[in-house]
Amino acid sequence: MKVHLKHFAGRILIVLLMLFFTSSAPLADEVKEIRAMTKEKVDIVINILKDKSLSKNEKKEGILETIDGLFDFSLMARLSLGKKHWKSLSKAKRKEFSELFVERLKLSYLEKLDLYTDEEVVVDEARMTKKNRVEVLTYLVTKDDKKEMIYKLYKTKKKGWMVYDVDVLGVSIVQTYRSQFSGVLKKDTMEQLLERMRSAGELGA
Amino acid sequence: MLHPLISNPASAQEKSPESVQMLSETETDEDFEDEEFDDGFEDEFENAEEEIFDPLSGYNSVMTEFNDGFYVYVLDPVARGYRWIMPDPARRGVKNFFHNLLFPIRFVNNALQLKPINAGEEMFRFIINSTVGIFGIWDPAKEWFGLEAHEEDFGQTLGYYGVGGGFHIVLPFLGPSNLRDMFSLYPDMQMDPVYYVENRPYNFPKKEGEYLGLSRQTIQQTNLLMLKTVNRESLRIGQYENLKKDAIELYPFLRDVYEQNRAKLIEE
Repeated sequence: MKVHLKHFAGRILIVLLMLFFTSSAPLADEVKEIRAMTKEKVDIVINILKDKSLSKNEKKEGILETIDGLFDFSLMARLSLGKKHWKSLSKAKRKEFSELFVERLKLSYLEKLDLYTDEEVVVDEARMTKKNRVEVLTYLVTKDDKKEMIYKLYKTKKKGWMVYDVDVLGVSIVQTYRSQFSGVLKKDTMEQLLERMRSAGELGA
Repeated sequence: MLHPLISNPASAQEKSPESVQMLSETETDEDFEDEEFDDGFEDEFENAEEEIFDPLSGYNSVMTEFNDGFYVYVLDPVARGYRWIMPDPARRGVKNFFHNLLFPIRFVNNALQLKPINAGEEMFRFIINSTVGIFGIWDPAKEWFGLEAHEEDFGQTLGYYGVGGGFHIVLPFLGPSNLRDMFSLYPDMQMDPVYYVENRPYNFPKKEGEYLGLSRQTIQQTNLLMLKTVNRESLRIGQYENLKKDAIELYPFLRDVYEQNRAKLIEE
């Protein structure tokens, strides 16, 4: 009987071990893949920036095309506005806000790239922070210092992993917009905010 | 088209990750129709509804505008002119020189935060760069030995021991700060050699009280600070303007950026 029990316990152990390895191994692979994917996209953007044969417009288009599949812009728009304000909006207004915000975000990203000179982007480790979240650590290395940038990704159902926020030197883009929007909406109405974003968009274009 | 989740009130209450993903994966109309909001994400960010304790917000906004104007109309044009005159390696040399002088601040604060390895590296950096690097103009410690600087200041030291930032204060010329970091400027200043520049007769300017009745020492210190500041800005022209573009309102934006960045630096 004792032998039997031992045998049984041994089997359970083997099953548990198998479960452990089958569940964790693909996970580690997935994180590696996410890191590789992020690196690939970052490299494409850097190569576009370095390519002297491209015009400014061609560069912009190329970069936007590259990052479109990586960034979930509409989610960023919703998170930036925050649950309470988003819920209070009609469908049409949500759509308008989202479009204006995404436009703004893309423009701001492109303008930041205008400052690009000779920096090197090092894609460091990727780590799973919780079940559906992975953070990819990158460094922007210049002659004098290196700036830490963290891409935060989540798992979508159909389009794989996508970025929903970026931390630059510990400053989260979404968080910063969140507090700003909530501050503005304490004084102004949503309509006034949209109006401001509309006119800012025209200036930028 | 009604979203399947909305038609079923029971499942609309659910906050499973699956339902979230369905809603955020494409930019279809469903994105704007859903009543469901991802609480998993919502928890990751600070509650924007919480009031930030900001008793000086009125003064801070005004001072932010002042600093912004000062940067845009004075500092930036001067820094651009300086950049035009001074070649890039020279400006890097000046930057390195001043940076090397601030070694005591980094050393002491690394030590206070119980980071002996970082403090030791700072010590080596100072010795190498002050000698081989010729008074710190070059940075052979980093280039040859791979020793990186470890920036720490007294505000970070206090933060390390759990002292909170207190409310936000925008300082004239210096920009965003808070109660803790403002008082921390004083101990750090005691370790900045620039404040120990001696009153020497052969230093510029020649006569005591010749300019605005200021002492020669004050003028010499101010000159050094101005050089340091203009030189620093000349190496990051355009960055502030670029950062500013993400602002909907300048003061709250710069405040958040500062506080988030400080929190990160202290965490390290």
